[in-house]
Amino acid sequence: MYWKYALKRILIAIIVFIVIIFIFSLLFNKVAETTLKGQIDEIVKAEVLSMSKNNRNIDIGEYRKSRLEFYYKKYHMNDSYVEKVFWRTYDTVTFNFGRATNMKSSRGSDKVVDIIAEALPRTLILFTVAIIIEIILGIWIGLKKAQKAGGAMDKSTSVATMIVFGMPSWWLGMIMIMFFAYVLKLFPSGGMHSVPTPEGFAYFLDYVYHLILPVFTLVLLGFWGNAFLTRNIVLGTLQEDFIMSARARGIPEKNILFGHTLRTSAPPIITMALLSLLGSIGGNLVFEGIFSWRGMGNLYWSAVQSNDIPVLIGNLAVTTGIYMIGLVILDLIYGFLDPRIKVGG
Amino acid sequence: MFKDLKYKLNEFWSEFRKVKSGVVGLVFLIIFILMIIFEPLISPFPEAGKRWRDITYWEDNSKSAPPVWTNLFTSKKYARSETLTAPIENVTDNGRVKITEYEFDYDYKADRPPGDIIFRTEATGNLLFITEIIRPDGETVSITRNNYNFSKPSNVRIALSNDSKNGAYELATKFDKENTLSIPKQSIDGFNILFSKVQENMASTHDPLKGTYKIKIRILNPGSTGVLENPRVIVSGSVSGILGTDNSKRDIWSGIVAGVKWAMLIGLLTSALSVAIGVIYGVISAYLGGFADSLLQRIYEIFVSMPVLPVLIVLGAVFKPSIWIMIIIMCVFFWTGPVKTVRSIGLQIKEETYIEASKAIGASNTRIIFKHMIPLLIPYSFASMALSVPSAIVYEATISMLGLGDPSITSWGQILQDANSAGAVIQGLWWWVVPPGLMISLVGMTFAFIGFAMDKILLPKLKTR
Repeated sequence: MYWKYALKRILIAIIVFIVIIFIFSLLFNKVAETTLKGQIDEIVKAEVLSMSKNNRNIDIGEYRKSRLEFYYKKYHMNDSYVEKVFWRTYDTVTFNFGRATNMKSSRGSDKVVDIIAEALPRTLILFTVAIIIEIILGIWIGLKKAQKAGGAMDKSTSVATMIVFGMPSWWLGMIMIMFFAYVLKLFPSGGMHSVPTPEGFAYFLDYVYHLILPVFTLVLLGFWGNAFLTRNIVLGTLQEDFIMSARARGIPEKNILFGHTLRTSAPPIITMALLSLLGSIGGNLVFEGIFSWRGMGNLYWSAVQSNDIPVLIGNLAVTTGIYMIGLVILDLIYGFLDPRIKVGG
Repeated sequence: MFKDLKYKLNEFWSEFRKVKSGVVGLVFLIIFILMIIFEPLISPFPEAGKRWRDITYWEDNSKSAPPVWTNLFTSKKYARSETLTAPIENVTDNGRVKITEYEFDYDYKADRPPGDIIFRTEATGNLLFITEIIRPDGETVSITRNNYNFSKPSNVRIALSNDSKNGAYELATKFDKENTLSIPKQSIDGFNILFSKVQENMASTHDPLKGTYKIKIRILNPGSTGVLENPRVIVSGSVSGILGTDNSKRDIWSGIVAGVKWAMLIGLLTSALSVAIGVIYGVISAYLGGFADSLLQRIYEIFVSMPVLPVLIVLGAVFKPSIWIMIIIMCVFFWTGPVKTVRSIGLQIKEETYIEASKAIGASNTRIIFKHMIPLLIPYSFASMALSVPSAIVYEATISMLGLGDPSITSWGQILQDANSAGAVIQGLWWWVVPPGLMISLVGMTFAFIGFAMDKILLPKLKTR
């Protein structure tokens, strides 16, 4: 009955998403409306201007009024408050975020959807690469720690975990840029590719070259936590009876660790890994700005700076969507790996 | 009851003491608290917190000066800050004009000139200030003339660095005409020439001329009615303070010290409030069960499905909240932290016989929840509180970093935001970038140490997931 469980989970997620967007619409209705009104005013002004140029004997006041009315009706500006919030929710859920006030995508489109669609893959690339390295390193070191729990390696890495516990990733980014980009001059100080941009395979190499420093910074901060959690989970499993019986049967320690233990510990470890991926998408927004990595985080930053409310609200809706998709995938994988979960639904 | 509590605390302490990292965390916490208490004593600028954005409060510092102790690591020493008082005073009054002459001795021992030299006095009347510097080699360089007419006592501030260009250029031209004339006057640094030996190419290569410089201020007062009080010269060094200054001349150490109380307040208040809400919420959900439980769990699900930081950023950008509102907004999202664990513990406690017994006696739900269930969760609450302090501080810093911080406070995030927007990273002003972030990390580390130590003690009993 896995598909039933999955369907239920997805349905709940969609409902929750709509509720959240509704809450956002409630919160931001007023400011979004002010922005929209300003945009309509500008459009109408331009229309009236071109109209009065081509057509001398038209009543400008009347024309202006009718155009304003047309747009107000189109965007549901004359409806009641509750209706407006509902329309805004509907628009947001159907990815109809409207136009940005002053930001543009690199192709020159001022549609919020285009701006976000351009930024999204960049963010995903940066964080996926970092998370994959983090998870591999984290599990590897976590296993090492669990093997000799209480040893020097275990203790020192645990202390390191706590030292980086409250360290802002963007601050470490600033320090890394200062040291590696300006003192040692090993890496570029930011951006996604050099100017002029090389082509073909060189483009790819250039991209990787720009990716190294931010990924390294993220990994440097991130993998400690993964290692610490892996250690705790694996240590818990190592005390189970079936491990003892496996040891009694004379199965080599390596097989026990990688076969028996890791397999049983997989669900919580995967939860942890995916949760840290989600956390980093939500938590490392400023990080992208520091590295001029023009993803979603940087989009927040520049939208805040240019006070572009539609982009901010659209970006928030998309971030929430991705976050929730992540949570759903997490539950689906978990349910797949651990059949007991499905019963509880 | 009290004895019981004392016994429990003693027992907790004897266990806590054994966890070394926890003790280290506690020591750090005490240091931070001491920093808050003794802020006026350890901060060279006690009003830093209140007047952080008031440029007049900082005007006597140098711009972007490194910390004083960097002198230990460089072969070329930078001039340090000092205040020269007690000048040689010389007054002549011929009836029509009173001439007061102050001569300050500045002993220049460094290799790099000071950032600025500022003459200050409180004065009344119609006054003409003529400023000169007499170098150790006997050369006199006239700096500037300023005319003031004050009807009531006012502060006079004459900064020499900018006005020294003319005099320095003249000096350089006098000894090395050809080379100096090839350099535009606006591009020279007056003090660099003024504090250097006379030699060929002196406008571009500087060899420090050490010795006693006389800073001479002649004040002409027609009518002899003027009053001058408290004349002094402030040498603002090219190194300054424990942690240097930023590009608005603010002393970074003072800013860091002023930020401690805000970080603590934001961290502790947010975590205390949100953990309290979360624990009560979780217990109620577990205790009530049935429909109420599933309703509360759905609400909880909505809150955990929101990415906190993006929501905070957009809320901050749209509503520009004060720090107090920001703390409340953070609580609205942070309370979800302990709910899951608390609920599962609550489900266990609920089945205990003594709960059943008190139900049978007829105790109200509120009484059972607050008297019998929540006290059991207090140790867990403290651990969870300690662990959520760092994220509250980091989130505030992140929001400040985007320029959405409350401008009425001085937080580390705001110092970092200033540093970032002023290009401190590119210019290599590490003393501006490193300390605030390091403090954020240290506070985070402190609470992580304490929290994990408490977790370690409590975990055997309360291990859930």
